[in-house]
Amino acid sequence: MFASKRLQKELSKMQGKLPPGIEVVKAEDFSEWLMDIKVVDSNPLYAGETYRLKFAFSSNYPIEAPEVVFVQTTDRPIPWHPHIYSNGIICLDLLDRQGWSPVHNVESICVSLQSMLTSNTKKERPPGDENFVRYNTQRPRDISFVFHDNQV
Amino acid sequence: MPPGNEYAAEQLKNQGNVHFKNGEYEQAEALYSQAIQKNSKNPLLFTNRANARLKLEKWDGVIDDCLRSIELMKDNMKAYFYLAQAQLSVHHPNEALTSALTAYELCTKTAQQTSNAATLTALVLKCKKAKWDIRERDRIRRRADLLAELEQKLELDYKSTIDGIEESVEKGEKGRIEGQEEKQERKLEWEKKVNDLRTAFALSDPEHLQKREVPDYLVDGITFEIMHDPVVTRNGRSYERATLIEHLKRSPTDPLTREPLMIDQLRPNIALKEACTEFMEQNSGWVYDCEDGENDHDTRWAHLSSV
Repeated sequence: MFASKRLQKELSKMQGKLPPGIEVVKAEDFSEWLMDIKVVDSNPLYAGETYRLKFAFSSNYPIEAPEVVFVQTTDRPIPWHPHIYSNGIICLDLLDRQGWSPVHNVESICVSLQSMLTSNTKKERPPGDENFVRYNTQRPRDISFVFHDNQV
Repeated sequence: MPPGNEYAAEQLKNQGNVHFKNGEYEQAEALYSQAIQKNSKNPLLFTNRANARLKLEKWDGVIDDCLRSIELMKDNMKAYFYLAQAQLSVHHPNEALTSALTAYELCTKTAQQTSNAATLTALVLKCKKAKWDIRERDRIRRRADLLAELEQKLELDYKSTIDGIEESVEKGEKGRIEGQEEKQERKLEWEKKVNDLRTAFALSDPEHLQKREVPDYLVDGITFEIMHDPVVTRNGRSYERATLIEHLKRSPTDPLTREPLMIDQLRPNIALKEACTEFMEQNSGWVYDCEDGENDHDTRWAHLSSV
């Protein structure tokens, strides 16, 4: 209903003044955006790498959370993290139906993901990654993750 | 009314609704008209026909239908909603604003005051913008008139001074050369005055002024728009009523603190509402960019046109 207007405003706010390590790659329409993020401190797990995020918005954004996943390209790997599956699906309460709040925005999501990576020290995938990646057919927003782990 | 007419009218209405859903507005309008002939006491027949006429852009017909529907049923949110759109289309923004505000008020009173409220908020802003546009056009016209009048006065002054000089020269009170010089001087003086006057008018033109950003405290954290009916939550943050309710329906929590929050715990923030209104009055026009192109008309009103 107001998704396009809100996204338009977000885009114009982001123009020119984004926090370090966050960049708009593509935002041509109001259904899908691409963003690049980097971890700015010297965490050896992520040093020198850039990651690409794909945001998909429904027409009910920001009442509904956007669907956010990491996407892999030749020079954009999927970051190692115990909450990030190797197919790019992210398990973060903020992106879940229950955890989402309409006061969040594209920029704040990017910042949250940055800090989620910054504070991580484990070069791991979530338990059951292989099976999940092979058999999951659900869209990220329909998966009900259990947020059991508040350590990372 | 002969028995059976009510039933016949209902049948015709249902047929009309089918056509309406298929986008066949002319057929729908015709069927609603037949239904009204059978039963002219049902306000819903009039609102349905108004909605069909809205699609056909028969504005006068919409207005008639809405007024009749309101006569039959006072608290008629849909009728006021259609009425406001038609009035806006025939360039009666004052009336349109009144109708839109009435619809909004009725909407906030009903139990499911939700997505409709957001649509109505958008319509209210659109009416305000139309109102401001007309005021602005008048102002420019008046201003142009004033400028023309003042320029004319300066020219008359200048001409009579020139005439005076020429007269003195004729009478031999002034030398020809002296007269020429004086005329040249007056001419420069006059031209400078006209220039200064035009500059003064140009400077006072708001288009030459810097646009002011809408301050963050007047902006709804959910839509990023200036608020029209702000409500305050328990932690003291304010949001636009319609959008916050949309969120609370999905998740009854405060958007910032995630504490439980119920719709009936919201309170209007009257002072903030007044601040928003005042800001819009002073900076209108560019504050709300309700360009038609931005909102897809059909989807926007779709949920209200359930017949």
